[in-house]
Amino acid sequence: MAEHTLEIALAVGVLTPLFSFWALVFFGPKLGKPAAGWFGVVFGMGVPLACATYVLFGWLGAMEAGESAALTANAWRGTWAVLGDVPITIGVKLDSLTVAMYFMVTFIAFWIFFFSVGYMQGHSDEVAGQRKYWRFFAYLSLFGFSMLGLVVSSNLVFLFIFWELVGLCSYLLIGFYFDKPVPQHAQMKAFITNRVGDFGFLIGLMLVYFHLGTTDLDEAAAVFAQQAAAGTGIFASHFTMFGWSLATIMGVGLFCGAMGKSAQFPLHVWLPDAMAGPTPVSALIHAATMVAAGVYLVARVFRLMTPDALMFVSLIGCLTLTLMALIAVVQTDIKKCLAYSTLSQLGYMIFGLGSGAWIAALFHLITHAFFKAMMFLGSGQVIEGCHHEQDMRKMGGLWKKMPVTCITFLVGVLAIAGTGIPGTQIGLGGFFSKDEILAVSYARAFEWDDASKFEESGHGEGHGGEHADVSPPTKRVMLASDPVQHGDDHAQPTHAVLEAESHGAVGAASIFAYTPKLPKWMFYLALFTAYITPFYMMRAWWLTFMGKPRDDHVYEHAHESPMMYIPLAVLAVGTVFASYSLFRPLIADASIVGSAAPLVMAMAGDSHSHAPAIHVAHDFLKVGVGGAFLVGFLLAIAIYRNGLGLGEKLKRAFGPIHTLLDNKYYIDELYDLVFVKGFVLIANIARFVDTWIVDLLVNLFAAAAERFAAFCGLILDTHGVDGIVNGVAKSSRDFGHVVRLPQTGRVRHYVLAATGVATIVFLCVLWASREASDVALAAVSASLGN
Amino acid sequence: MGVLTLLIILPIAGVVLLLIPPYGNPAGVKRVALLTSVITAGIAVWALVQFYQQEPGRVRDDLSYVLEEDHSWLSSETFTTRLLNGTLGEIPAIDIRYHVGVDGISIWMIALSAFLMPLAIWGSFSAVRERLREYYCLLLLLQAGLMGVFCAMDLLLFYVCFEFTLIPLYFLIGIWGGPDRRRAANKFFIYTLAGSVLTFAGLIFLAFFSYDQLGHLTLDIEELTQLGQTGILGFDHQWWLFLAFAAGFAIKVPLFPFHTWLPLAHTEAPTAGSVILAGVLLKLGTYGFCRLSIPMFPDATFFFAPAIATLAIIGIIYAALAAWVQTDVKKLVAYSSVSHLGFCMLGLFSLKVAGVSGGVIYMINHGLSTAALFLVIGCMYERYHTRDIRKIGGLAKQMPIMAFFLVFFTLCSIGLPGLNGFVGEFLVLLGTATSSTMKDGLSSGPLGFSYVIPAALGIILGAVYMLWMCRCVLFGPLNEPPNTPDTSAGLTKDLTRREIGILTPIAIACVVLGVYPKPMLDTFEVATRDHVLRTPYISDQPDESSEELGLIIPGDQASVADAFFAKQFGGDSQ
Repeated sequence: MAEHTLEIALAVGVLTPLFSFWALVFFGPKLGKPAAGWFGVVFGMGVPLACATYVLFGWLGAMEAGESAALTANAWRGTWAVLGDVPITIGVKLDSLTVAMYFMVTFIAFWIFFFSVGYMQGHSDEVAGQRKYWRFFAYLSLFGFSMLGLVVSSNLVFLFIFWELVGLCSYLLIGFYFDKPVPQHAQMKAFITNRVGDFGFLIGLMLVYFHLGTTDLDEAAAVFAQQAAAGTGIFASHFTMFGWSLATIMGVGLFCGAMGKSAQFPLHVWLPDAMAGPTPVSALIHAATMVAAGVYLVARVFRLMTPDALMFVSLIGCLTLTLMALIAVVQTDIKKCLAYSTLSQLGYMIFGLGSGAWIAALFHLITHAFFKAMMFLGSGQVIEGCHHEQDMRKMGGLWKKMPVTCITFLVGVLAIAGTGIPGTQIGLGGFFSKDEILAVSYARAFEWDDASKFEESGHGEGHGGEHADVSPPTKRVMLASDPVQHGDDHAQPTHAVLEAESHGAVGAASIFAYTPKLPKWMFYLALFTAYITPFYMMRAWWLTFMGKPRDDHVYEHAHESPMMYIPLAVLAVGTVFASYSLFRPLIADASIVGSAAPLVMAMAGDSHSHAPAIHVAHDFLKVGVGGAFLVGFLLAIAIYRNGLGLGEKLKRAFGPIHTLLDNKYYIDELYDLVFVKGFVLIANIARFVDTWIVDLLVNLFAAAAERFAAFCGLILDTHGVDGIVNGVAKSSRDFGHVVRLPQTGRVRHYVLAATGVATIVFLCVLWASREASDVALAAVSASLGN
Repeated sequence: MGVLTLLIILPIAGVVLLLIPPYGNPAGVKRVALLTSVITAGIAVWALVQFYQQEPGRVRDDLSYVLEEDHSWLSSETFTTRLLNGTLGEIPAIDIRYHVGVDGISIWMIALSAFLMPLAIWGSFSAVRERLREYYCLLLLLQAGLMGVFCAMDLLLFYVCFEFTLIPLYFLIGIWGGPDRRRAANKFFIYTLAGSVLTFAGLIFLAFFSYDQLGHLTLDIEELTQLGQTGILGFDHQWWLFLAFAAGFAIKVPLFPFHTWLPLAHTEAPTAGSVILAGVLLKLGTYGFCRLSIPMFPDATFFFAPAIATLAIIGIIYAALAAWVQTDVKKLVAYSSVSHLGFCMLGLFSLKVAGVSGGVIYMINHGLSTAALFLVIGCMYERYHTRDIRKIGGLAKQMPIMAFFLVFFTLCSIGLPGLNGFVGEFLVLLGTATSSTMKDGLSSGPLGFSYVIPAALGIILGAVYMLWMCRCVLFGPLNEPPNTPDTSAGLTKDLTRREIGILTPIAIACVVLGVYPKPMLDTFEVATRDHVLRTPYISDQPDESSEELGLIIPGDQASVADAFFAKQFGGDSQ
C-alpha cells in the first residue's frame, strides 16, 4: 500500500462533508426540497462512508499482514502552529479505534441522513419560509465534518477544536425549530452546560501542555508514563486539591469535558431537553455519535489518567447510570424515555472505562450507537405516524400499523437489555459489552486485592507472563507507598514501578497494584441497573406497540413509510452484526496498540480475556447478570400487559418516590435557583456596583477636581496670592476661551483640574523617589545653569 | 517618502480634498472619503507585502525594525535648544526625531485599522445624514492618528498621535451620537486625557533621564528601551514610570476599574465611531503596554504583572456579569469588550511568548469580531431605532441574513474553535498557565495556574451573555416596535447588498485567521521575542522538555516514540 493512503482516505472523508456544507449554504436554496437532501446524503455522508469502507478493509488487511503498528506510528502529521517552544501538530490518528469509530459514525450517519430526506420534508418550511430544508442538511454536513475530524485527530488541541465544533452543530440543530420557545431554551442550555465541561477540558489541556510539553496524544502518553516512573514533571508537584495530586487533576479536568459532552451527572441536564430538536438529530447526535464523543475522549486520554482520576470517572459513571435509569422508568414521553436510557448507557460506558474495562466500554459504545440510533429513528417514525404524539400512554397496539418499526425496535430493546444465553456466545450487543463491564468491575471490586486469585485470572493472558516473578508481597509494598494515596512522599514511591519499568516489565500486575479497589457499592448499583434497563425498555416497547390502542385518534393515523423504515431495517441488521463479527477484534486490537502506557495494560489487563470466559469463571455473574434481562422483561410485561391500570396503582403506591423521579430529582430546579437566578443576582449586583460605585467614584473625583479648580481660580486668582499663578491662571483661562470645547464651559475646568492634579501627584511621586527627582532637577539645572 | 509616511499622510490628503469641493454634494463626499480609505488600505497591504519581504527573520537579538524612516524633527538647532541651554556656545543635543518603523506586531495593527476604516465609512452611508463633510473628515483624521501611533518609533510622536486620536472621536461622539452624547463625549475625553497626562509626565522624566545618561535628549523608543533593559533605568524609577504610563494606557484599554467611560461612549457613539473605538482605539492601550511599558520597564513589569493580571481577571468576570443584565445591546457588547480586553491584558502580562502573541492576536480578533458586532447592531438600529432587548425579538424571521451574521460574529466573539476568537483565547490561557514558577522551580513567569481558572470561568460567562443576547434578539416570537422596520434611505427589510458587502470581508477574515493563524502568529512571535520580551529572565527559557522527552521510553514503544520525536524535533529532514 502506498504511503499515507489510508490517511488520505480518512482526510477526504472528513473534508467532503465540509464541502457539502458550503455547497448547501451557497446553492442549497436553488436545489429545492428533496434535491438538497439527496445532495447531503451523497456528499455529506455517502463519500465519507465509501472512504470509511475503504479504510476499514485496508486496515483489516494491514492488521492481517502485521503492518498496522507501523502504519499507526508513521501516520501523517504536520505542524499547525508553534506555541512557545511546543509545536502543535495537525495529524491523523490511525489506529483500530479510529477506524472502528470512523466506520461506525459514517455508517450510522449515512442512514440517518437518508431517513432525514423523507422525515424533514414534513418538518421544514413552516414559518415564513425560514425553517429551511437545505439548512438542516447543511448543519448535518457540518456535523459530519466535525465529528469525523474529532475521531481522526491525533492532537488534543485539534480534538478540542472539533469537540467545540460538534457542540456548535448540536446547538444549531437543537434550535432548528427556532420559532418555538422550548428548543431555544434547550439550545442555550446545551451549549452552556457543555461550556462548563469544556472549562475543565481546557484546564486539563493546559496542564498537559505545561507539564508534559506536548499535546500529541501518543507523545503525551509516553511522557506521562515516563514521568510517572521517574517521579518528575507533573508527578514532582506538591500541589494538591481535594486530596488529588496534580496528575489526577489533569485527568479529572479532561474528564470534565467528557462529562459535558457525554452528559454525565451532574452535567446531564441538557441532554433530555435537547430532544426538542428534530428526531434525526436526536438519533445521530444525541444518541449515537456526539454524546459518545465524551467516552471516546476518555478512551483516548485513558493513558493520562491516574488511578485516582479513574476512580472519579467510575464514580460519575456509576451515579449517572443508576440515577438516569431510574428516571427512565417513570418517563411517559417516548423520546425522553430513550434519552434517559441513553444517559444511563453512557454512564455504563464511563463506568466501564473508569473501572478498567476499556475494551468492553468501547464495544458498548459502538453497539449502543447502532441500536440507539435505530430506536430513535423508530420513535421518530412512531411520532411522525401518530401525528406528533409523543406520549406513550396514548399509543398502544401499533404493531399492526407499523410492523417493521415494531420489530426493529424490539431488536433494539433486546440488544440494550443484554439478551443472550448465558454461558454461550449467542446474544445481542449488551450481552457482551455490558456484562463484560460488570465482570471487570466485579473483578476490581472483589478480586484484585486477593493476590493469588488475581494471578490466576489475570495472568492467563499474554502480558501476564512477563512479570509473573512479581510476588504479591512486592505489590503490597508498592501499594503502601502509592504516590497518589500518600501525597507527602511522592518523590520516592514510584521507585518500585520505575524499577519494573527499567526492566521492561511494566504491566498489569505492577500497576494494578497501586490501583485503588473499586467500592463494592458501585458494582452493586451497576448490577442493580442491569435489571432496571430491560424493565424500562420493555415497558416503552410494550406501551407503544403492544396491548390495545388507547387513543383512537392516534391509532387511526398511524402508518409507516418505506423511505423511513429502510434505515431502520439496515440499522437493526447492523446491530446484530456489530454484536458479533467486526468491531470486537478491532477494538481489542486498539487496546493492544495503546497498551504502551502502563495504565492501559493495568486497567485493561483483565479485559484482555474475553467476556464469556468471565461468565464461566464466575457463577454468580453468570446467573446474576446473564439472567437480568429476563427478570426485567417479565416484570415489565407483567405490569403493563393489561394497559396502564397496574402501573397507575404502583405509581400511587410509590407516590413520593414517583414524584421525585418524575421531577428528575429536582436538579433542574436546583440549577435554576443556584446558577441562573444566583448568577443573575450577582450580575445585577455587578451592574449596580458599576453604576453606583465605580462610576460614582469617577464622577466624584471629577467633581472634586472641579471644586479644586474653582478654589484655585477664585481664591488664588482674585486675591492674587501669587502673581505668577495669577498670570498662569489668567492666560490659561484666556486660552481656554479660545479653544473652548463645545457644549459646556466646564470642560476647561476639568482639563485644568485634571492636569493640575496629575502634575501635583507626579511631583509628589518624584519627591518620594529622591534620586529620580534629583536626576530630573539636575538635568534641568544643568541645562538652565550652564 | 516611505510607505509608512504615506499611510499617515494619505488620510490627511483625503481631508484636504474633502474640504475643497463646495457644499451640497453628499454623494461626492462619500465617494472621496471611501476612496481615500480604500487607497490607504491598499497602501497598507503594500506595506504588509514589503514587511514580509524584509522581515528580519527569526534571529534573536536582532532588534531592527522594518520600513524605517528617520528624520530630524525637534532638533538642537532650534530656538527651544537655546532657551533650555542658556548659552549659545554649547549645543545640547536635543534629538527628537520623526522616526517611524514597524515590527511584526505594529504592521498587523496598521493592517487592522486600514481594514476597518473603509468598512466603517461605508457603513455610515445610510446612518449619517447630516454634516457629511465634517463627519468623514473626522473619520479620516482619526485614521491618520491611528496610523501615526502604530508607526511611531519616537515616544513624542507616539504620544502626539495617541492624544490626537481623542479629538476626532470626541467630535464624532459629541455631534453624531445618541441622546446623551455630550456627557458621553466629555467623559470619554476627560477621563482618557486625565490618564495620559500622567503618561506625559513620565515621558518628560524619561526625556531628562536620557539627557542625563546619554548626553543628548532623546525620546527614541529603542534607545529608551535600551536604558531600561540594561538596568541604567533602575527599578525605583521604573516603578513610578510604569505606573505613570499604565495610568494612560489602563484607562484606554480599559482595565477594571477604569472602564466606566466605555459603555457610555459606545452607547452614544454612532456606528462608525463604535466600530473604530472598539476595533482599534482600545488597542492603543494594550499596544502601548506591549510596545512601551513592558520592554522599557522590565523589572517594574515583572513586579506589577500579578496586580495587573488580577485587575484583568476581575474585569473579565465582572464585566461579563454586568454584560449579562444589560438591556441595551450595544452596552452589552461594550461590556463584553471590557471583558475581552481583560483577556488581552492577561496574555500580555503573562510575559511568555505564547501569552504575549496570544494577547496581540486577541487584539486583532477582538477588533474584527466586535467591530462586526457593532456594525450588525448598527444595521438593526437603523431599521428599528431601538437597541432595547425587551422591545425587539424574533428578528431571525424578518432578517435571516442579519441573523446569520449576528450568530456568526457572536460565535467568533465567544471563541469557537475554527473562528478567530479561539486562537487568541487559547494562547492567552496557555501563556498564563505556563507563566509560573512551578516548572522545575525556575522563576519563569509572574502568573500561573491560579490565574487560568477564573479566566476560563470568564469564557463560560462569555458564552452565556452573548447567546442570551442572540436568543433575545433573533429567536422566539417576533417583536417589533411600531412603525418599523424603517426602510427609508434605501434600506430593505433584511440587509442590503452594501451591508452584506461590509460584513462579508470581516467574516472571511475571521474564518481565515481562525483556521490558519500561523503566518500572523509567526510575525508576532518574532516581534515578541525581539522587541517585547527582551530581558532574559522574563522571556522564555530555552525549553529543555524536548531533551527530557527523548530520555527514557519504556519497552517496545521506543521506536514508535523515537519516530515521533524525530519528526517533531529533528526538524529539517522532513
